[in-house]
Amino acid sequence: MLRESVRGFCEKKIAPVAFEMEKTKEIPIEIVKGMAELGLLGCTASLDYGGSDLDAVSAGIIAEELGKTDPTGSIPVFYLVQAAWGHVLNKYGTDDAKKEIFPKVTKGKWFLGIATTESDAGSDIGATRTKIEKQGDEYVVNGEKMYISGVKEAVKHGGGHVTLARQTHKLGTRGMTMFYLPLNSKGITPTYMDDLGREGISCGGFSIENVKIPKHYIIGEENKGFYIVHEGYEFARGLIAVICAASALKSLENGIKYIKERKCFGVSIGKFEEIQFRLSEHYTRLNMLKEFAYKSLWLYDREKEGKTSRFEVSKNIAMAKMFASDWACNAINDVMQWQGAFGYSRECPDQAAWRAVRSFALAEGSKEIMKIIVARELLGKEFIAYK
Amino acid sequence: MCVKQVPDTTEVKIDEKTNTLIREGVPSILNPFDQFALEEAIRVKKVSESKIPHSFIAQQGHNFLCDKKENDEIVVVSMGPSQTRNALMKCLALGADKAVLLSDRVFAGSDTFATSYTLALGIRKIGEFDIIFCGQQAIDGDTAQVGPELANNLGIPQVTYVEKVEKIEGRKLVAYSQTDEGYRITEAKMPVLLTGTPPTSFEPKNPPIRSIMTAKKKPFVVWCANDLKGEKGRYGLNGSPTQVIKVYPPPVREKGVMITDTPEIASKKLVGMLVENKIIK
Repeated sequence: MLRESVRGFCEKKIAPVAFEMEKTKEIPIEIVKGMAELGLLGCTASLDYGGSDLDAVSAGIIAEELGKTDPTGSIPVFYLVQAAWGHVLNKYGTDDAKKEIFPKVTKGKWFLGIATTESDAGSDIGATRTKIEKQGDEYVVNGEKMYISGVKEAVKHGGGHVTLARQTHKLGTRGMTMFYLPLNSKGITPTYMDDLGREGISCGGFSIENVKIPKHYIIGEENKGFYIVHEGYEFARGLIAVICAASALKSLENGIKYIKERKCFGVSIGKFEEIQFRLSEHYTRLNMLKEFAYKSLWLYDREKEGKTSRFEVSKNIAMAKMFASDWACNAINDVMQWQGAFGYSRECPDQAAWRAVRSFALAEGSKEIMKIIVARELLGKEFIAYK
Repeated sequence: MCVKQVPDTTEVKIDEKTNTLIREGVPSILNPFDQFALEEAIRVKKVSESKIPHSFIAQQGHNFLCDKKENDEIVVVSMGPSQTRNALMKCLALGADKAVLLSDRVFAGSDTFATSYTLALGIRKIGEFDIIFCGQQAIDGDTAQVGPELANNLGIPQVTYVEKVEKIEGRKLVAYSQTDEGYRITEAKMPVLLTGTPPTSFEPKNPPIRSIMTAKKKPFVVWCANDLKGEKGRYGLNGSPTQVIKVYPPPVREKGVMITDTPEIASKKLVGMLVENKIIK
């Protein structure tokens, strides 16, 4: 029923307008309102705060339907960050913060994002320079974040980002604290950048100068942010793997329709084995990816019930995301190739899908980091090269 | 509220050897007519629960008058196999309060007569009621018989093709029904059975995710034939005086010809075609 409900919304409301985001560069407000009414925004928040208390697998089903519908990848990103980081805020945030933030997020009035990346700290979170200091009853933050999704949305409509900063320098990664940072705070200066894809959702950064944070915005214990942040990453990575599979499978659907109709040398190009073999391989790989992505999300839920270990979840989620972007990109790239010159034109939805899924080789943990995680679990922590 | 789970298409293929519908690979949905009736039932319940005085509702253009009532319940009931649970869960997510599934192998093969008999037993077992809502018809059988037969079985009046419940006062309601000529306004005493016919503008709602999650916590019971204490000979195939002899699709009509031109040229072309086909001289 969950899938049926989301699919109905996607087909009726999102599909007719999704590709227009390539030009309008924003998600239509009616779509945001519709997502809120259906309960897709902040869906992992508890019922008490206006959410739907969704587990990871259910959140994955929504991600799949959105990934299949929006070739620009904008709405899936808009959804997934709020689902994943809403989960973290819901689990570790204070009651006061949740009462203040979630009702607005779930109604689509505020955006809730994630801000960990800096110009010199991406995969290496330990290199984070942004600092948070306790001053009396509040905290003061200074630093800069870069390549952050949804900066314009939070500045324009309200909301903020789950943010990571260094609190106790000498403790290294064990001295980082997570908190909620409203982007309309005094001392925030946003900047925007032009991404390769995902045109409907903004990418940007912001400098943080003496921004004051109330105590209730601290997420989890002080100096425990490095551990908490991985729970959000892993939730998001599982969703990303589903989105990559869904988006590329939709492209294959487009491709199948095209190669059946398009004739070359008097026959449908779908009769050529060069195309058939690639189609079969992509279809198989993408379905394997989707199944495995759901397994990883299921394990995520099992871990919450105490039925599997944290590291087993990390490993499986990393395995799911490791090839997600590559496999999806390769499949979509072939669909573009089958369509000839049209496949390379801006009129072709598949090129937008390719640019969107390409981002997921980096977002929420690069594919290289996924390999390091899997190797760490197979060989043991003593084999981590950078430690 | 009576509902049926139906195949998600009006173009189900037919197995020519067995004269039965091929349902494999066709997803099942809540009958859209039933969903409309349910949404109307929910609207009526919301207004009846409203603490707003009648006069205020009228002034605000709510276009619905009703005695204030509390603790009204919408109980949704369906007869069918265990998969019918999905349609009932959707009803709960849309706003029904309880669900009752009448499910037993002996119910298999029921025609509308046996179905309405079984539903009536289920409804009596549920308890007292004010209004029974049904969809006008199911999109698979298209008989539009179960609602009226059910009213007969329950011994209550019926109003068919209802688009809107306009007013409830005391034990009476006023309903607007669609007719070929326009609307028929009917006043009926409760308890009453209404069959719902959606306006052309009706779009079935998708239940919000939150409601889907909370629906899991609402009461859901399954009753078999023994629970209903009816006459065994009146259930299922044995209790069905009608049987399907053959199912076949209507003959395919030839595609029409579209004439697109200015009215003057188009009319000349049309007359030419009619003459050519010896329809006019």
